[in-house]
Amino acid sequence: MSTIEKKRPKVFEYFQSEDQFAGGVAFCAGCALELNVRFISKVMGKNTVLVGTPSCSAPVLNGQNVAAWHKLGHYACTMTGVASSATGLARYYQRAGIDANVVCFTGDGCAQDIGFQTLSGAAERNEKMIYICYDNEGYMNTGIQRSSATPFGASTSTTPVGSQSQGKTTGSKNMPLIMSMHDIPYVATATLSHLEDYAQKLVKAKEKAKEGFAYIHVFCPCLVGWKIPMDDSIQVCRAAVRTNYFPLWEAVDGKFQMTHKVNKPKPVQELTSRLGKFKHLNDENLAILQSKVNKRYKLLQALCEAPE
Amino acid sequence: MSAQNRVSNQTKVITGNAAAAYGAMLCRPDVVAAYPITPQSELIEQLAQFHADGILDCEYVTVEGENSAQNVVCGASMAGGRTFTATSSYGLVYMYDAMFNTAGYRAPVVMINVNREPPGIHAVCSGQQDMISVRDTGWVQLIAETCQEILDLTIQAFRLAEDYSIQLPVIINYDGYYLSFLAESVNIPAIEDVDKYLSVLKSQPKRPTLIPGEAIGCGSHGIGMGYVELRRKHMAAMDRVMPIVDVIDEEFGQAFGRRYGGQIETYRTEDADIVLVTSGSAVGTARTVIDAKREEGMKVGLVKLRLYRPFPVLRLSDALKGKKAIGVLDRSICFGWGCGPLYMETKAISSNIGHVPMLSFIDGLANMDITKEHIGQMIDTIFKASQGDSYQEVTWLP
Repeated sequence: MSTIEKKRPKVFEYFQSEDQFAGGVAFCAGCALELNVRFISKVMGKNTVLVGTPSCSAPVLNGQNVAAWHKLGHYACTMTGVASSATGLARYYQRAGIDANVVCFTGDGCAQDIGFQTLSGAAERNEKMIYICYDNEGYMNTGIQRSSATPFGASTSTTPVGSQSQGKTTGSKNMPLIMSMHDIPYVATATLSHLEDYAQKLVKAKEKAKEGFAYIHVFCPCLVGWKIPMDDSIQVCRAAVRTNYFPLWEAVDGKFQMTHKVNKPKPVQELTSRLGKFKHLNDENLAILQSKVNKRYKLLQALCEAPE
Repeated sequence: MSAQNRVSNQTKVITGNAAAAYGAMLCRPDVVAAYPITPQSELIEQLAQFHADGILDCEYVTVEGENSAQNVVCGASMAGGRTFTATSSYGLVYMYDAMFNTAGYRAPVVMINVNREPPGIHAVCSGQQDMISVRDTGWVQLIAETCQEILDLTIQAFRLAEDYSIQLPVIINYDGYYLSFLAESVNIPAIEDVDKYLSVLKSQPKRPTLIPGEAIGCGSHGIGMGYVELRRKHMAAMDRVMPIVDVIDEEFGQAFGRRYGGQIETYRTEDADIVLVTSGSAVGTARTVIDAKREEGMKVGLVKLRLYRPFPVLRLSDALKGKKAIGVLDRSICFGWGCGPLYMETKAISSNIGHVPMLSFIDGLANMDITKEHIGQMIDTIFKASQGDSYQEVTWLP
């Protein structure tokens, strides 16, 4: 088991590192995904190979039809083949003694839906790699369809609000917790309003990936899909944390802990009122969403308090 | 004695599956990924045992499905490794999306496909429909007839796939049951001899690989002209496969004393009036029947199709040119044309060979034995057609 260094660089120090991306990359103005992927590359460093899929990140990561690009190695594959392609890369690099951080970077639709089997398989085999899921709660790139990460009540193009519908009828899959049940060295949640926390987790993931599979689930709003103003994505991330809608935690070798305790959580309306996809929610449905948030948080608390 | 040569450099009675495993092991793959499926499972179990016994030094990735198996070997191949996988039937179909990438990325993966029928989960029996269905994924496809040929073709497949002028993935097909579980005497070469045979690859330029720390990407075909350029290059590489298959077969013959004819094997076709074209395990039966018909004075010959993709248009045209009638025996079907798929492709070269009666025979679906009697009937029908009798274009046997 590798030891995790006590003193780590602060977040502003990472911003001194060389930016692996060119200016003018093809994301929407104000998109949290750009901050996310630039930040990951700053912490991970140059020996990183990104593995990605057709998605919002594809044009930038895989250089499709865009001039602005990055300096990292990258491997594009189908949505069914991310963790498995990365397995192939990582296994050969290990065999050949090539130093590499193999980092899968996909949306929730790939991680939780169509690529879930292969992700689960790679985690069970404890492949030495990092999987980062940027969770924007649906298929944003193809036109804002629902995924298994779409929350209860959200309006999407395949769960639209209508005279007979109030949005999605079921809740989301608790993906980070599912990944933690794979008995892997590192699982964490993170978001872009808490970059210090995120940086620490990326560093830990990089270290723990020398032992086995590391998974980070990142709450990453989509301005277009969630119908929010372009200067609001970081506020949305903060609201998700403050309401316990998206608690920040990690599980190191199966030991759970909160990395950012919210002393007085706000009601979930503090988040939903900011998001156009929830604007139709009535009090009854808001109460259902709140109860789902509470239930999920209690389960997490119990895991954090579980004896060793 | 090396760990490998404790089990090789000898002649043993082994199954087709074991022959494939020996062939793969002798080529020292870096990464093997596979998922079990009947009738292939014995092959990957044998490789796992080689790995467990220290005979096969590789990363052996026991994946959770064939789609992952294909992606693992593609990724490992693009990283720079020699890779191997094996599957059959639904497993091949489950890899379908990933197979396009492996071929499109020009990853020189070698894969065994043990032919088995795909429609119906209880059709756990032989048939070539699986390989036919992945025809246009961009892979090279070869077909073996015997257990010895399975081993030899596996070695040749690495030589072909990794050749600098090719860089394409290769499938070796062999009939499930008839070959996968048939035990025959097989010569297993010494690993040093296989090393020597493959050493020509080391003298070639290094193919491009995905190296961390460098701004290299793979898998972005893009759109427009970038895409068109890659497709044209892929097709040109496929065209180079045909002649090089013949060269590799000859090189192999010089190294190991066994030659198979390259793209096709012709048997008693030189002076033949009529010819039967077929592939795989049925060829042995067909040879016996051809010999018997020759005894009776009928001038009949046989073409064994070894290369299925690319289709050996020139070699096949040469073998069939000037014949009076041609029959093609298929172990699968081709919708839309209502005949066998190998027949359909052979018919497409009729302008090269002259317009003579051509007959499609469909037999051996789902482990229905292709008997000597069936082949005798086929040859008699082709003969009658060559004599000017009216004939039915497509015949299902039994």
